[in-house]
Amino acid sequence: MPMAEKILEVKGLTKYFDVQGGFLKKKGQVRAVENICFDLYNSETLGIVGESGSGKSTLGRALLKLLKSTSGEVVYKGKNILDLSDTNLSLIRRELQMVFQDPYASLNPRIKVGNTIAEPILANKMVSTSGQAREKTLKLLELVGLRPEMYERFPHEFSGGQRQRISIARALALEPKVLVCDEAVSALDVSVQAQILNLFNQLKNQLDLTYIFISHDLAVTKYISNRIMVMYLGEVMELAPTEKLFSKTFHPYTEALISAIPEPSTKGKRKRIILEGDIPSPIDPPSGCKFRTRCFKTMKKCKNVHPEMVEVESNHFVRCHLYDARKEA
Amino acid sequence: MQNRTFVESFVKKRLGLFGLLGVLVIVSLGLLAPLISAYPKGYGTEILLPPSEKFWFGTDGLGLDLFAQVVWGARTSLYVSFVAVMVAAVIGIPAGLISGYKKGLLGSLIDGIIDIFLTLPVLPLMIVIAAVVGSSITNVAVVIGLLAWPSLARVTRNSTLKVSELQFIEAARCVGISPRMILFKHILLNIAGPVLVNLTLVMATAVLSESGLSFLGLGDPTTWSWGTILKKAWDAGAVIDTPNPWWWWFFTSSFIMIYVICFNLLGSGINDALNPKTRD
Repeated sequence: MPMAEKILEVKGLTKYFDVQGGFLKKKGQVRAVENICFDLYNSETLGIVGESGSGKSTLGRALLKLLKSTSGEVVYKGKNILDLSDTNLSLIRRELQMVFQDPYASLNPRIKVGNTIAEPILANKMVSTSGQAREKTLKLLELVGLRPEMYERFPHEFSGGQRQRISIARALALEPKVLVCDEAVSALDVSVQAQILNLFNQLKNQLDLTYIFISHDLAVTKYISNRIMVMYLGEVMELAPTEKLFSKTFHPYTEALISAIPEPSTKGKRKRIILEGDIPSPIDPPSGCKFRTRCFKTMKKCKNVHPEMVEVESNHFVRCHLYDARKEA
Repeated sequence: MQNRTFVESFVKKRLGLFGLLGVLVIVSLGLLAPLISAYPKGYGTEILLPPSEKFWFGTDGLGLDLFAQVVWGARTSLYVSFVAVMVAAVIGIPAGLISGYKKGLLGSLIDGIIDIFLTLPVLPLMIVIAAVVGSSITNVAVVIGLLAWPSLARVTRNSTLKVSELQFIEAARCVGISPRMILFKHILLNIAGPVLVNLTLVMATAVLSESGLSFLGLGDPTTWSWGTILKKAWDAGAVIDTPNPWWWWFFTSSFIMIYVICFNLLGSGINDALNPKTRD
């Protein structure tokens, strides 16, 4: 993919959550997201994958300032949006939007869906009268494949897929440039997932959107993304264009994830890499490389030295000691 | 599936409608009191008459019409409960919403204040305040409201805590809805059920408190309220005398009871009708 201009620059984004210690217990910190750096290019789809607890949703929220970041910068249009005061947020509120995971929880059950979509249009003064807002809402409903008479209905009258379309319409109401989709299809049936994914692709072409597509499902991410960022325990492990990530996998964690994608095939069983155990606690992450406790290629060095991000090939970044040599070479 | 409106669904629920009718009857009694009967004052000659066509609820020891007293009493009781509810709502709802939504110092501070107010012994305090500020009916109403807001705030806060964690609140923040709109529209709409029910409870208990205070002689002796009627009945020994002039206390007590029940029914009716899921 030809690299277009950068639309968003993320530098050293870090989010720690404080954990209240109990009586006579010391306070801890959950290192949800640590030192994330990446660039987002105009009209690409960047997939972010990782297990539960890898910090991908936290990252998405920190990007949009829904969570206060501990440190780091998110540069949009030459401004660090994390520095913007709450009153100056309208810029990012309009141009960076989010589609949420749970279509059953992300719509206010007491508000008609039409009003749910029209409200941000009015709140951000995109139009001046409620009549205009209604018109715009009806267009949005059509855009996401819903009928205009659904304006007057309440969320509980819709199926999961329809609700997700409504969520998308609400996010699109502000005419965003960047859409963060946080597990936007994970809660849906597989057949509906495909519909929504196609809707995302169609909207992208129609509206020239840039997506950050957060998912735990590598197959879904592969289908929709131009580039994929693999996260583990709050850190980026590998970042590469989609074809490269699958054709030439570097990081052992990515290898394990890819080998876990189920594939219908008449050939013999492929060797699966099974990772033992769960993701370690982000309160007390392993020393050195965070993945070493579950890695099947772990070395002595992994325990003591924290690996740095290395560009092993052009646009292909890996955080693993196996490839340190290439950096020096 | 047909989409019922709030009104249609409320009418469908018999109990809520029944409550509303009861409330409407009492409200119109109170509002139309001057048209229904003359203000009972002075004394008459026809004392302690049982209910008859002339005196529907009988007469008291001074020969005054008890029906007129109950009607004028309804006026006072409505006024008291309305003022008390307003005071409690104006303080309690914002306090509960803010303390439930804003974590951190402000939230904890308000929560602490709610806790302190909840530990206050309400009745003795009410008696003391009513004695100090003087027994005007407005004072009594404000005092009742001031002591009723913490429980309303607590209910509001607990419901807010639950709702503010839901994703649609985060979604609303994300699309740039102001905190005020989130609190007073998105959250309040979703906790309207418990809050309204609690408001009707405040409405009901305000009447009970007012009756209690009047019964203890801390009400306004120059106005007729249901508590005043009962106090006069008690002072005249009408509750324990034999043969018993039961009409003196029975109708008034029944009205207090009906008033409380009707407001509770109305509250739960509104609650059911407000929830789109239970509308059908």
